[in-house]
Amino acid sequence: MTTPTPDAAVHVRDLRKSYTVHEKEPGFLGSLRSFVRRQSREVEAVRGVSFDLAPGEVVGFLGPNGAGKTTTLKMLSGLLHPSGGELRVAGFEPRRREADFLRRITLVMGQKQQLIWDLPALDSFLVNQAIYEIPDPQYRATMHEFTEVLGLEGILKKQVRKLSLGERMKCELAAALLHRPRVLFLDEPTIGLDVNMQEAVRAFIRDYNERYGATVILTSHYMADVTALARRILVIDQGQLVFDGDLARLVERGGGGKTVRLQLRRPVTAEALAGYGSDVKVDGLSAELTVPRAEVSPRAARLLADLDVADLTVEDPPIEAVMAELFGRKDREVVRG
Amino acid sequence: MTRYLRLMRLFTGATLSAQLEYRANFLGAILASLGEVGVALLGIGVLFGQPGTETVGGWTFREALLVTGFFMLTEGVISVFIQPNMSKIAEAVRTGSMDFTLLKPLDAQFGVSTRHLNVLRVGDLLIGLGLIAYAASGLTVTGGGLAGAAVLYLSAVVIVYCIWLALSTTAFWFVKTQNASELFNGVFGAARFPVTAFPVPVRALLTFVVPVALITTVPAQALTGTLTPALALASPLVAGAAFVLTRLFWLRAVASYTSASS
Repeated sequence: MTTPTPDAAVHVRDLRKSYTVHEKEPGFLGSLRSFVRRQSREVEAVRGVSFDLAPGEVVGFLGPNGAGKTTTLKMLSGLLHPSGGELRVAGFEPRRREADFLRRITLVMGQKQQLIWDLPALDSFLVNQAIYEIPDPQYRATMHEFTEVLGLEGILKKQVRKLSLGERMKCELAAALLHRPRVLFLDEPTIGLDVNMQEAVRAFIRDYNERYGATVILTSHYMADVTALARRILVIDQGQLVFDGDLARLVERGGGGKTVRLQLRRPVTAEALAGYGSDVKVDGLSAELTVPRAEVSPRAARLLADLDVADLTVEDPPIEAVMAELFGRKDREVVRG
Repeated sequence: MTRYLRLMRLFTGATLSAQLEYRANFLGAILASLGEVGVALLGIGVLFGQPGTETVGGWTFREALLVTGFFMLTEGVISVFIQPNMSKIAEAVRTGSMDFTLLKPLDAQFGVSTRHLNVLRVGDLLIGLGLIAYAASGLTVTGGGLAGAAVLYLSAVVIVYCIWLALSTTAFWFVKTQNASELFNGVFGAARFPVTAFPVPVRALLTFVVPVALITTVPAQALTGTLTPALALASPLVAGAAFVLTRLFWLRAVASYTSASS
């Protein structure tokens, strides 16, 4: 057993969670059968996850749907009791849900809302101020700051039900961070938002992290969120950690190659390019192909020599492709990069 | 403690403002209150309406009216303070919004029990108090009787709250629990009448199994000075025990919370 890093903001060792789920066949008869006799099955949502986060660290938590991301975040925030393993967050054991622990953390869920639906967001903020016992001067200062960074001016006094999704999400974030938590669990905070709104939310999280040195764990379906905010990435799949390390290392490891983009002066056929790399795509005067990482320099040199090339760029594959490759793999051992 | 009082004031303000958003609802609520009191009065009207009926189960008309008053008052307490909160527990478990309650540095049981208020049904409280005052004005009530009735009624409210909370807490496992509150309403209907008006086996059931007698009959007996010491002691004891047990049940439920996925 590893000893916990003494000053870790988040310490997770061999974390496990299993559920009993009821299964039902489709259709009315299936429902009737399940009403009379429930078929249940044990599902292991999280199977031995371990990692440590330093104070102020921002990590991206990635994985396909159902991989165990949300379950892990809920255990970290004390909502769910782990079935096994060791857990410390800001020096506390989350499952005990001590008031001092809850004051230091927050959990933002992009798909759930805590704001009072029929009232302006300000009313919800005042309720949270009282619950977290935030002194008036601190409340005013925080509100002032959030209003500026998030652009809340003009939307705080509208009933929440009349706000757009983006406006509501900004208010949700403000409500969740009003007590200036030290550890932030953000579960898909930008889901469903348009590009500008996503950028605004990212800027806010970055600003908060820098200003207060808060530790942030972020899950998202938008890779841009993760690449913009996190240097370190945790990848979870089927309840197990399959990668823990630098974003750059993940890209390097995951991708079998780099993408070479060509701008040509004279058209070529896909067959003519087949000898230089795989996944060849030709569209008029532009072409794209994948080249093994180690072969990038000689292949590029050959391309430049053999063809009439106007421009050549070498790029890392998009992180989506890296993920797809990683989850397609058979080996499941943790990679520390 | 002062923090909790402050929070209750804040919750009340928020829930009041939210309800003022929907004005048409007020009319419906007033009609519902009048309907309730009409049904309750019709009940004792039928009992005492027979020519030559002076007492029912040893209760005069005024005394029986007292029980009806406590019944209406309790209906009011339930619809204003208890039911609006309890009915939201199941919903919060089903949608996962219980997450936010559990994430707050605030006792979660306090949170789910005081967050909402249905001011629309305040009429029930007033009608209940009015009926009690009217019925008592025709009876001899001592100061001691009044104080006793107040304490016993407080115990009664605690008991009612505990039953509702226990039934609603089952939502953590069963998710949908409307039928549990229907069950309470069905049994509680019996509290319209003094329990001594029922045959002995039913009376025993309503006292010891479901403590309906403690809710309306016992406070009324305290007011009229006909209460036995055993029942006077039983009510606060049952209330205390019920509170501790539901508290433990609640904590157990929270520990097994599975939280709807996002």
